[in-house]
Amino acid sequence: MKTLLWIQGLSCNGNTQSLLNAENPFFYEIFQKIKLIYHPSFSYRENLQTIIKKVKEEKIKINFLVVEGAVTSDKRFHKIGDYSVAQILEILKDRADYIIAAGNCASFGNIPATFPHNTDVKGVQYKFVQKEGFFPPDFKTRSGYPVINIPGCPMHPAWFTQTITALLEGKKVILDQFNRPKELFMYLPHDGCTRNEYFEWKVESEEFGHKEGCLFYNLGCRGPMTHAPCNKILWNRISSKTRAGMPCIGCTEFNFPLRENFFETKKNMGIPEEVPLGVSKRAYITITGVAKTLKNKRLMVKLEETD
Amino acid sequence: MPKVRKVVLNRVEGEIQLKLVWEKGKVKDAFIIAPNFRGFEFILEGKPALDALVINPRICGICGHAHLIATTKAIENLYENAGLKIDIPQNARLIRDITLGAEIIQNHLRWFYMFVMPDFLKLEKSKKLKDFEPIKGYKWQKAVDFSSRIVKVIAIFGGQWPHTSYSVPGGVVCDPTTFDLTEAKSIVDSVVGFAQQEIFGMDIEDYLSVSSEEEYLKKSKNSDLKKFIFMCKKHQLDHAGKSYHRFLTVCDMEYAFSKGITKKKRRNFYVEKVREIDSYSYLTENGFSFDKNRYSWAKAVRYDGLPYETSPLSRRINSREKLFINLLKHYRDSYMVRMWARIDEIARLLYAMKMWIESIKPSEPFYIPPPADIKEISGKGVGLCEAARGSLIHQLTAEKGIIKKYNIITPSTWNLGPRCEKYLSPAEKAIKGADSQIKAEMILRSFDVCSVCTTH
Ligand code: SF4
Ligand code: SF4
Repeated sequence: MKTLLWIQGLSCNGNTQSLLNAENPFFYEIFQKIKLIYHPSFSYRENLQTIIKKVKEEKIKINFLVVEGAVTSDKRFHKIGDYSVAQILEILKDRADYIIAAGNCASFGNIPATFPHNTDVKGVQYKFVQKEGFFPPDFKTRSGYPVINIPGCPMHPAWFTQTITALLEGKKVILDQFNRPKELFMYLPHDGCTRNEYFEWKVESEEFGHKEGCLFYNLGCRGPMTHAPCNKILWNRISSKTRAGMPCIGCTEFNFPLRENFFETKKNMGIPEEVPLGVSKRAYITITGVAKTLKNKRLMVKLEETD
Repeated sequence: MPKVRKVVLNRVEGEIQLKLVWEKGKVKDAFIIAPNFRGFEFILEGKPALDALVINPRICGICGHAHLIATTKAIENLYENAGLKIDIPQNARLIRDITLGAEIIQNHLRWFYMFVMPDFLKLEKSKKLKDFEPIKGYKWQKAVDFSSRIVKVIAIFGGQWPHTSYSVPGGVVCDPTTFDLTEAKSIVDSVVGFAQQEIFGMDIEDYLSVSSEEEYLKKSKNSDLKKFIFMCKKHQLDHAGKSYHRFLTVCDMEYAFSKGITKKKRRNFYVEKVREIDSYSYLTENGFSFDKNRYSWAKAVRYDGLPYETSPLSRRINSREKLFINLLKHYRDSYMVRMWARIDEIARLLYAMKMWIESIKPSEPFYIPPPADIKEISGKGVGLCEAARGSLIHQLTAEKGIIKKYNIITPSTWNLGPRCEKYLSPAEKAIKGADSQIKAEMILRSFDVCSVCTTH
């Protein structure tokens, strides 16, 4: 049976908590197919020190090494026993078939990497947009893949289970330019958002607390500029931020959370500074102009009042 | 000569080290070491206040929602202190309580089945416990199923769990339909079913009227709580792990608990009486210090100069619940009683959630915009909230909507912080006297250890 070892750097444990919510397969179903050698939250007999020793002595083989949390080599700010997470990665990096960065912290550094008093915090292979993570840019595991990033703050459990399942079955996983599985991250939260019709007809929410209206123009929604299938594979299999009425904050992107004013849309003379992916500013202005003149009456009233 | 041994604890949220000083086969002194630090308070400085709604839930993957609520309340309080009245619709208050209740239930289920019960597998090898084995055990799996099901309620209103920022100053972002509410109610009902059958072995409302241990043991069928109680007795955990017998709760929740502090008698809670002491923390008034006697990233917290336990047990005591007042008379604040209070809260909150969902009026507002742009607001704000593990306090100072200073005091800081010159932290005190390492770890776990919150 293939094996999986899970380690945590600077993290909030949100990715582990998220993974427990997995459905199809459920958390415990994945681990009937893969042997979990160690996870800090679930292992009750093993400890990491002895596991590492056994790996070094080649008594244990690691197929999947999963990293949750950002990496630092500064032991003052992070320690697992006597090791830093950087030291553990150094020991294990050539002994795993695949290394998976679970969540935005391990992928790109995320919030811990913005801590001003330790500039040595990074993702496993990236630090935000730069390939300046803990491993060198050309690092590959023995399977030929670089570190596979499954970002998201937290990651959706299905993104993880589906990636693992595909790799277990020997399928090829295509990665995008930030090493994210393409077939998951080629979607935008905008795709499948229940407010998309409002976006098309330029009916914009002015404030929170309504089912109606798109959150793009006034409330900072990043749905059209973020790579993530949040409205295709729903959260907790039931909803998504934008469906509930919260703007997407772009938590799967390399630059999360560097932006400020998450609930505002930065504009220049009334035009959003960033427009939907694949559209030029000029096209955006033209389309919105036209849409506004061709009013969709259904979208002008509360949903309860529509015919 | 006392012997000193250091252990790294897993099966906690994050990582905690425990330094135990042994003498004559008993723990003579215990140091709880929280070695990891991300520096959220520093990260927040200079950021727009509303961005704290996005950053702060990420302090903790298991109780991030409580951090969101505390942040929202701190910003709302900032408005109020600036002389601007904030209207929070009743619907929004109800939804915030519903989602917070769901998060707490999720935590207690996961904590009991995934973190606490496996300890007993280390204490005894009995076939009866096979169901509790991590990943393989039937009970362990059921706990995953139902803890993941209850957070769907948060997703209905907030889009997802973990990590949403759907609660904002002035209300919540959602506008649910009647059918969203009936779906939420059905989820609660299904978890009630699980709780009745597996956890309590009796009808939830009957359980809530139980007032003594004898009565519970007599009335309930075979249940996990019963098993837990018997195992505690078998391993002398019913009387082990006593701390200060002082309890603190900072926030009310209708049908569930009331705020207050209980020393000998119950009194009102005043936030002005809370002080942090950094003599043993790496984090000090003037930056970082790694002096030899310092041993944790957490600070010590005191109320009126004294250490207090904050936890579901504190909530039970401050709401004067008969069952727990009776349990304390006999066992005081022991391992068993502290854990029982966590389990008890599952019933209490499920019951409350049903009432709250019932009270929502979909045709009324869920959000009323604050009376001014946050960019015009300067001053201070405090947000108080009860999280799974106990009392959570957020304090912020802002100037024209920009955060100048942010301070977070988590439940784990209260319970698992380091000592001060005069007192050990509640958990350190409770571990003293333990007669084996596993029991020392178990007593620590009865405080629901979360290292990521402890240091944040
Ligand atoms: S709310 Fe966001 S994701 Fe939804 S349609 Fe508008 S821009 Fe797109
Ligand atoms: S909708 Fe946006 S912010 Fe929400 S989880 Fe998806 S990518 Fe992250």
